[in-house]
Amino acid sequence: MISLQNITKKFKGDTVLDNICLKIQQGESIAIIGPSGSGKTTLIRTINGFVIPDNGSISIDGKEIKYSDKKNLRQMRKRIGMIYQLFNLVERTSVLENVLAGSLGRYDNGVGLVLSTIGLFSKEEKEKAMELLRFVDIEHKASERVDRLSGGEKQRVAIARALMQNPDILLADEPIANLDPKTSQKIIDLLLKINEEKGITLLCVLHHIDTVKDNFNRVIALKKGKIIFDGKISLLNKTELLSLYEIEESEEFEWMAA
Amino acid sequence: MDGSLTINFTKRLKIFFTWSIISAVIVVAFKISKFDIFSLITGFSHSISLIREMFPPNFSRFDKILLVTFETIAIGFWGTVFGILLSLPLGLLSANNISQGLPYLVSKGLINFFRAVPDIMFALIFVTAFGLGPIPGILALSLATVGLLGKFYAEAIESIDKKPVEALESTGSHKLGIIRHAIMPQVFPLFMGYNFYLLDHNIRIAMVLGLVGAGGLGVELFTQMRSFNYQKVSAILIVVILIITLIDRASAKMSKNIIDGNFMSKQNKFINLMLIGIIILVSLISFFFIPFNLSEIFNGIPRILEFLRDLFPPKISEIERYLYLIIETVSMGITGTILAIILSIPLGILAARNITHYRVINIFSRETSNFFRAMPELMFALLFVAAVGLGPFAGVLAIALHTTGFLGKFYCESIENIDKKPLEAIDSTGAKYIQKIRHAVLPQIIPLFNSYNLYLLDRNIRASTVMGVVGAGGIGFELIMSMRVFDYQRALTIILLILITILIIDKISSWLRKKIT
Repeated sequence: MISLQNITKKFKGDTVLDNICLKIQQGESIAIIGPSGSGKTTLIRTINGFVIPDNGSISIDGKEIKYSDKKNLRQMRKRIGMIYQLFNLVERTSVLENVLAGSLGRYDNGVGLVLSTIGLFSKEEKEKAMELLRFVDIEHKASERVDRLSGGEKQRVAIARALMQNPDILLADEPIANLDPKTSQKIIDLLLKINEEKGITLLCVLHHIDTVKDNFNRVIALKKGKIIFDGKISLLNKTELLSLYEIEESEEFEWMAA
Repeated sequence: MDGSLTINFTKRLKIFFTWSIISAVIVVAFKISKFDIFSLITGFSHSISLIREMFPPNFSRFDKILLVTFETIAIGFWGTVFGILLSLPLGLLSANNISQGLPYLVSKGLINFFRAVPDIMFALIFVTAFGLGPIPGILALSLATVGLLGKFYAEAIESIDKKPVEALESTGSHKLGIIRHAIMPQVFPLFMGYNFYLLDHNIRIAMVLGLVGAGGLGVELFTQMRSFNYQKVSAILIVVILIITLIDRASAKMSKNIIDGNFMSKQNKFINLMLIGIIILVSLISFFFIPFNLSEIFNGIPRILEFLRDLFPPKISEIERYLYLIIETVSMGITGTILAIILSIPLGILAARNITHYRVINIFSRETSNFFRAMPELMFALLFVAAVGLGPFAGVLAIALHTTGFLGKFYCESIENIDKKPLEAIDSTGAKYIQKIRHAVLPQIIPLFNSYNLYLLDRNIRASTVMGVVGAGGIGFELIMSMRVFDYQRALTIILLILITILIIDKISSWLRKKIT
């Protein structure tokens, strides 16, 4: 269980997260929506410590994240996989090598550290990586260099890398923002399948409401750093939705006027 | 599943053979250049005791040091000015988009020849013709400048936008008009940047030309070194490092301003003009220190013709010994480069602000490589000859340290320019520092590193051909000895061998560079 308590974050005086309180149960699939600058990305980045909140605390299974303790932070990160808008793969290396990098957290001392640093991984890890590549349906490109893949293929590799960590939680930061609609659909389906089959908690930041499917068992809408809706998508009524988009439109209008 | 996990057999064999050849070459190079751990340890302790003897620096003849410093800057400046004047026509004539036929071939050939000959070798030849002093230094630098600048100019002209040229052609303009109004405006900022780079480069070279008697600080340094006045030596070295560092910073700033197009902007104008003013002022003042005797130059011309006549025919009686020395020279370059790579990797990593988050360590590593880069390798060689004795080992150490200065900086810059996104992704898996470097940083920078390493290997083999001038091993020693005893036919054989070696190495390295990119 992830629990966020009174999380506040300011960037140069702008409040990006405003006193956020949230409880997430293991195995939930959550879509986080909201207009640009509403704090969606910042919110999920506090969970793995890429953003350190100014106030409040986050605990996972009752253990509070200590941002200043690097070792503690690493232990936490091992359990949290992350998927990015621009995939963040290591170019010039093969698909398999990229996926294997997901296992690095398991080799943090002794012989394992030395071997993984040289670039040698055990047979079991390689087999596991291949299995995950099969799971995300890109096994046939295992020895290809990642820079030769298409966007959708790259995102599959990135998902396999995150799964390689054996995570309990998967954070996805606008995973489909750089993909075409058809591929986007497939990637969202894949993420939901992972959530369903493996019981991994999924927190998925999405820009548009129309990409959120019924399969997400919870939708959180953010506006100016505050949660304005939290519940089943069927309960998200038109007025709330309109207010979310109306504000966005009027903001755009103000910006144009200025 | 196994099919995609294992690379195919022939590819593996290829990789295995490539690496076997590379390691064999390295092992042989280390053997021939007499480099081993034992001599490294004794060499280290000898160097420490030499450094101890150098303290405290003796500035008692500061006036003398100041005088030769002026002379050095003057040699660098006037060498650059004459070099620019020669490079302009040659550069224009060797650009394949505005010149063809005989003029193109001749000017291109001349530029390539000037680039292949090491600058110290030019100085050695001109000292023979004109006698000791700054004049041969200036002449040598002018020709060496043409080798570099002529190529830079030609490449800049070859890459211009053709549309304005066509527009002027359609007006029926004269060729000179096209050059002046369509080509020059496009290449002028680039040319200025190159000129400043060359001025910087030439002042560095001027520091060491004195080692063969071509004027400047080097003469004084060599004299003090020979009379074991190590405290005076260290005083000169401090001045050398200070000046080179100052000029390096100033020229880096100016060329950045030129590239960004704000050389004459409000906040830069004053400082930049002042810097240029100071250099010109120093050079004009120093002109009076140079015995610029026209009759002397005219007397030198018949002497150089005589010298050229005396070169022929080349003597090939001792060719086997020379060939061995060529192998020793190449080995020195390889060994020095390998050592520098080993030293530079940690230095570059520690200096890079994005992966080492301790300011003090960043600054310390950066300044270490700045120091190594500022110290000319022939000066390092001179010191190491005093510390570890004559022979290739001293040359290897000199090359290794100077190259570390370059590579440390290159490595640091390429690490700082990496794509941060994969680094963050690896970070989010809970990986440790060293794992992050191995799996997110190294894959991004290794191709870049390889091209730097090859470039420096090429450069270092050139540099090792002249290490012998101060007794630090290789073929250079034979060259200077045969010049000293006026055996010019032997000298020609050696010069030709050096040129052939440089051309072969140049071809190999450009072939390899194409292979890895």
